[in-house]
Amino acid sequence: MKKKIVSLLLAASMVATLGACGSGSSSKDSSSSSAASSDSTAKADDPVQTLIKNTTGTVDLTLWCSETKEYQTVMKEIVDNFKKEYSDVDFNITIGSESEANTKDDLLKDVEAGADVFAFADDQTNELVKAGALQEVSTTYTYDPKETDTDGSLEAATIDGKVYAYPMTASNGYFLYYDKSVIPDEDAGSLDKILADCEKAGKTFGMEVSNAWYLYSFFKGAGLEANLNDDGKTTDCNWNATDTDPTGAQVAEAITAAAKSKAFKNLGNDDQMAAIKDGKMAACVNGTWSSQTVSDAWGKNLGAAKLPTFTVNGKQVQMGSFSGYKLIGVNAYSKQTGWAMLLAEYITNAENQMKIFKATGEGPANKEDQQSSDVTSSPAIAALNSQAEFASLQRVGANFWTPGNSLGQSLVEGKYSDAQKLLDEAVEGITAEVK
Amino acid sequence: MEEDKISLRQYFVKFGTAVKNGNIFTKLSLIIMGMGHWANGQYIKGCIVTGVEALFIWAICLIGGTYWPKLGTLGTVQRKEQFDPLTMQKTVNNFDNSLLILLFSIVGIVIAFFFALYYIYNIKKIYEVQQRKEAGLHVNTFKEDCREMINGKFYVTLLGLPTLGVIIINVIPIVFMTCIGFTNYDIDHQPPTYLFTWVGLKNFHTLFTSSVSDSFGYVFIRILIWTLIWAIVATFTTFIGGIFLAKFINDKRTKLPAMWRTFFVITIAIPQFVTLLLVGKMFGNNGIVNGICSQIGLTGFLEDLGIISKGLGYIPFLSKPGWAHVMIILINIWVGVPYQMLSATGLLMNIPTDQLEAAKIDGASERQIFWKITMPYIMFVMGPSLVTSIIANINNFNVIYLLTTDYTTTNMRFANSHGNEVDLLITWLFRLTNNYSNFKMASVIGIITFVICVALTLLSFSKFLQGDREEEFQ
Repeated sequence: MKKKIVSLLLAASMVATLGACGSGSSSKDSSSSSAASSDSTAKADDPVQTLIKNTTGTVDLTLWCSETKEYQTVMKEIVDNFKKEYSDVDFNITIGSESEANTKDDLLKDVEAGADVFAFADDQTNELVKAGALQEVSTTYTYDPKETDTDGSLEAATIDGKVYAYPMTASNGYFLYYDKSVIPDEDAGSLDKILADCEKAGKTFGMEVSNAWYLYSFFKGAGLEANLNDDGKTTDCNWNATDTDPTGAQVAEAITAAAKSKAFKNLGNDDQMAAIKDGKMAACVNGTWSSQTVSDAWGKNLGAAKLPTFTVNGKQVQMGSFSGYKLIGVNAYSKQTGWAMLLAEYITNAENQMKIFKATGEGPANKEDQQSSDVTSSPAIAALNSQAEFASLQRVGANFWTPGNSLGQSLVEGKYSDAQKLLDEAVEGITAEVK
Repeated sequence: MEEDKISLRQYFVKFGTAVKNGNIFTKLSLIIMGMGHWANGQYIKGCIVTGVEALFIWAICLIGGTYWPKLGTLGTVQRKEQFDPLTMQKTVNNFDNSLLILLFSIVGIVIAFFFALYYIYNIKKIYEVQQRKEAGLHVNTFKEDCREMINGKFYVTLLGLPTLGVIIINVIPIVFMTCIGFTNYDIDHQPPTYLFTWVGLKNFHTLFTSSVSDSFGYVFIRILIWTLIWAIVATFTTFIGGIFLAKFINDKRTKLPAMWRTFFVITIAIPQFVTLLLVGKMFGNNGIVNGICSQIGLTGFLEDLGIISKGLGYIPFLSKPGWAHVMIILINIWVGVPYQMLSATGLLMNIPTDQLEAAKIDGASERQIFWKITMPYIMFVMGPSLVTSIIANINNFNVIYLLTTDYTTTNMRFANSHGNEVDLLITWLFRLTNNYSNFKMASVIGIITFVICVALTLLSFSKFLQGDREEEFQ
């Protein structure tokens, strides 16, 4: 009997680690400070003054932004200025490192313990709202994003007609980088010519087709859709359509045909950058986050342009893309909602968006900033702007990604026997109910 | 088994007699637990026991009152907030948090269970003391009781803390995570904003159904089979490899054994995940190994042979099923053998020399000695630890996860359930929770893994640890 207990406990402790996930939660009623009865003597038209007046003691805020040195430095500067702006109040603002791509995953582990203000990529907007983690931007105090920021960036922050975040940068999409010494400007508009030039020079072209984010570009370009359904969870996708021109299968075969080229490499970001540094790669589909590496490697030969066209069924089709934005959100569970909103507004105002652009090279979402000569002279931003008309907002459900990645991998390898069947299965997975 | 039943019955029978035959104070202890102690002159003990009872009642009122009534539904009031744009303050309703309701209810139940045990023990104890007193025997004072705890009953004191630890860090989380498997806790039902509730066996049903888009069943069976193959192969390859390595190093003819041993131990000194990440990169599609292979023409040669598909341009060491399975096991041998070598070295040095010498005198060959004496001895000593390593390998997250970060499956059915061919149950579970917040399915997979591990342990321990094994070996 005793032996059995021991062995049971042994086995239990093996699996006990499983229990470690997500059980920790702080006290129940940590709901934000109950509404301090509004001071009737305070001027009702100036909520910020009211807030300053009602604030006693130190205001603790946590801000999550990208871990890169550029971001950390510029955010530190912005936060210091914010403290000066509201010098009547004693702030204790902590800046944490959190890649925008992972904000959702880490925040939702324990939303009550998460940052008050955080940066995130706009593809997470839907799921963050679904989890109730985002404070709605129902009122603004220092500026109005609806007037100053571009429509696209606002749309990225909007779910069901309600704005949930403040646009910060508008350059999180992808476009084409190329080495002018290998690919002349006039060839950069066509994938076939790019691949031919690369083959001739013994170089390669990189694009991560086995990532559904990039794979989308081919199908979107050919007029096929992948969109979020009204339920906000499932994806509507017609990549397997047979009644469109071109059909889904024709697009699939076109991708496989392009990938057959010796020069075509299905590589992730890190591998692309390594290949560019080694001088093996002469063009890639990538984003502003790589602009530094690429310009270091190619110098004045650096070219950036909208995505090229590719050949489907003998016709040239312009590739589409996902546009991408970085947004600043306020945690709905913040204990300092008011101050968190003011900080988020401050980070994303016109002046600070410009600061962020200068520090990181990421294009602003503010309309005026976008017109400034600094921004328009950046080749990467210019390329993104010319891609903009073919770009669409990233609104897909959770089940888009894994089946999409898998489809991309299959298409690159080209070992399928029936493109239609492959697409049917992928679309069934993409459109499946979220369980 | 029969014995267990009898002792369980006696447990309650004894309690019954204590209540029936106890005097008025013993009976009163049913309500105020210290009463009997006071009557028997054990005042301090009486106060402590009553204090525990008061603490229990307070805790149960708190937990039972707040959380138990909601356990059936796991909460009904969803969070609602109201933001006042003028004061910039927020009001939140008094909402239910399903996660906390479940957690505290379980804590409450565990507390109640252990209190019940203590309650019964207390009555029996009081009855015992009452009998002693009636018989005119000595009744322990508080001081004597305390002394007994560090002398005669020291094992109770010693085991108290670990037992408490096991309950808090093992029992409660396991019960809690098991319960999640019977709820709909997933991306759409995430507390504190949303509520989740009981759904019965629905998730288990999902795990065993299979269609193209709803492929949990398909993926589960395949991942389970690979998990078991992996656990067994990984354990035995490192085990055998470790013994042979130790044997070679310990051989009289080997020069500088200490140096060789040190070389292998150094591989242990580097953190495993660093090694794995580096090796994973080295064998990646564009890693250094592939660079060398394509330069010396191996890649082209394999393409010509048709072993890898034409135009791939690299050897898919860690990116295709089959290739990846074999590579993972090979890399694991490299990472795991030094550990096994160390423990085998210790064993080999401790083999009773009289047996070895006797065998030599009888004219046994080296091979005979190894298979007839050394191996049985090692198996006898290491058998139980083999079982634990199999279980550790079932849950060997690091090796699989770190080596296959870039793996993309081309099998739609795997993709539709967010799994892939080289996943273990545990890495699949991790992806479901971490990337897809699918806690309910992860919990179901966890339960199944748990059952498998328990079954394995019970089976093999009862085989390995039978009392007469030692004589058998001798």
